[in-house]
Amino acid sequence: MSFVVVGLSHRSSPVVVRERFAFAEARIPGALQSLRASGVAEEAVILSTCNRVEIYAVSPLAPADAFRGLQQFLVSCHDYREPLTDEVYGLSEPHSVQHLFKVACGLDSMVLGETEILGQLKRAYDLALKAGHTGGRLNKAFQRAFHVAKHIRTETNIQRGSVSVGSVAVDLAEKIFSRLSDRTVLIIGAGDTSEKTARALQSRGARRILVTNRSPEKAAALAAELGGRAVPFEDWSAEFGSIDIVISSTAAPHYVLDRARLEPLMKLRRNEPLLLVDIAVPRDIEPEVNFLDNVYLYNIDDLQAIADQYLKQRQEEVARCEAIIRDKALALLGPCAPGERALEVRPAFGQE
Amino acid sequence: MSWFTDRYFFTLAVVAYGLSMVHTVFLWRKGFRQHDHVTYLLLLLGFGLHTTAMLLRGFSLNHCPVTNLYEATTFAMWTIVAVYLLLGLWSRLRFLGAFASPVLFALGVFALMPKLDATHSARPELSAAWVSFHAALMSLSYGAFGLSSVAAVMYLTQERNLKFHKLQAIFSLLPPIQRLEAVAGRLLVVGFVLLTLGLAAGVVDLAQVNDPERYRGDTKIVWSVVVWLIYLGLIVMRWKFAQGGRRFALGTIYSFVFVLLTFWGTNVLSTLHNP
Repeated sequence: MSFVVVGLSHRSSPVVVRERFAFAEARIPGALQSLRASGVAEEAVILSTCNRVEIYAVSPLAPADAFRGLQQFLVSCHDYREPLTDEVYGLSEPHSVQHLFKVACGLDSMVLGETEILGQLKRAYDLALKAGHTGGRLNKAFQRAFHVAKHIRTETNIQRGSVSVGSVAVDLAEKIFSRLSDRTVLIIGAGDTSEKTARALQSRGARRILVTNRSPEKAAALAAELGGRAVPFEDWSAEFGSIDIVISSTAAPHYVLDRARLEPLMKLRRNEPLLLVDIAVPRDIEPEVNFLDNVYLYNIDDLQAIADQYLKQRQEEVARCEAIIRDKALALLGPCAPGERALEVRPAFGQE
Repeated sequence: MSWFTDRYFFTLAVVAYGLSMVHTVFLWRKGFRQHDHVTYLLLLLGFGLHTTAMLLRGFSLNHCPVTNLYEATTFAMWTIVAVYLLLGLWSRLRFLGAFASPVLFALGVFALMPKLDATHSARPELSAAWVSFHAALMSLSYGAFGLSSVAAVMYLTQERNLKFHKLQAIFSLLPPIQRLEAVAGRLLVVGFVLLTLGLAAGVVDLAQVNDPERYRGDTKIVWSVVVWLIYLGLIVMRWKFAQGGRRFALGTIYSFVFVLLTFWGTNVLSTLHNP
């Protein structure tokens, strides 16, 4: 009996291949049923996200035969006829266990250390558990994986800091304002990133949101979605007395806010601190305004630089996380003869 | 043992403040990224020793120990540490200690200069209670101004990081600038109220002195009024004319530096305070 993993991820294959192998959630219980019926696996979990499609299985076959069987299953399930080389990988113990732990911790994710994958993995496991396709081995491995993910989150910095532009803007706001709950946010332009940033601010307590856009319909739509209020584009500066955070992302070819316009507005605000987040390209806010007292201007590059730094910090933590995962995987598998669990990482198809 | 004096305890307290200052250098180099308990504990230790020193001195004098420059300085320092220990219970403000330690150490070393601890001939015509009350309020007010300027230094550090897009702005655990400004502002108001009450108590004392007219132009009285006007100006500028933020922080620091640099000189020149 061996615990194996076969699948494709953003590391091994492009999206044009991955999307062909994706499982809709409703199809998974049926697929697991037929997989077990084929005799390749006694226990199995299928994880299908936009970045990976993986089968975690306990197979009675030798690892090489299990890889072949599982890959054949994937191919026939999706009626995939093109040749495969390195797109599909197979891992046997202890690497299969380590891989599961890494996936749970977000170490194998496109955004290093992200936590969404843990939720997706839990859902995939629940689906298989409820349909009765898991057994003692997989249950133990998955439970341990969730435990390791929690351990890594609390003991290392892998998940510390924001790696998205929107959440970096929120971090900055929290370094300026004592509380976000009594601050007012103005969104100029109704783009996707500004919406995400506004939502991130809301998730940390911001309640008053104003939206303005050249198109009043778009402004009203976004305001309704965020539970805020739409303001006419021509006179948003009339509201400036109460604004603390501005997120600007218009498609305007010129500055929407410049120093000459902001200077009198700051007096209106009694010189309270003002955070300006300019995520538009070309920029919406004149860089000169950063020279005004109590004004803090960040453009898209500034935010990206902070996000990159967080990412760098996360990358530095990877080695620590991997050492923890190695130990935890060995603890799960128990002591064994050195040759018994030799390295088994190879394409499941391909040159074999 | 004879060397087991209040000055001995105070010296030990200054050593603790010095150690805390050394620790600050490490915190600074690391960009204030980890929660700081060491500074808090070192200052707590210093506070214990400092309090012991003040109690010993107070019991030996039989009144509040604020009769000379040494005692006034140690009292002001004691206020700074006491208020810090209170604010430091709130973990987000614990870094105040890191910024306060150098000020405490410098004041401590200054206070230990032997000439400052001279015994003054008492003025028998004055009520000891009122004199103590006046001196204690003045020392407390300078302590509050000192801590306010410490918060202002923290504000400027973090404000500069934010303005120039330094990564430390995000990575450090320093509190948000708005909170630092609020802390500095409140401490300043507390200091001003204490200073006003202290000066009022001083007026009561002055009325009891023989021939009070003689002291109309006394250096210390003129200086105190100037300090009072400076702080009044800062408060009016901030709340009436909305001159908050960086200007307010700089004003707070410059004012306290002015007090530090001139307090001792004017005290020596004052015939009222050096009978």
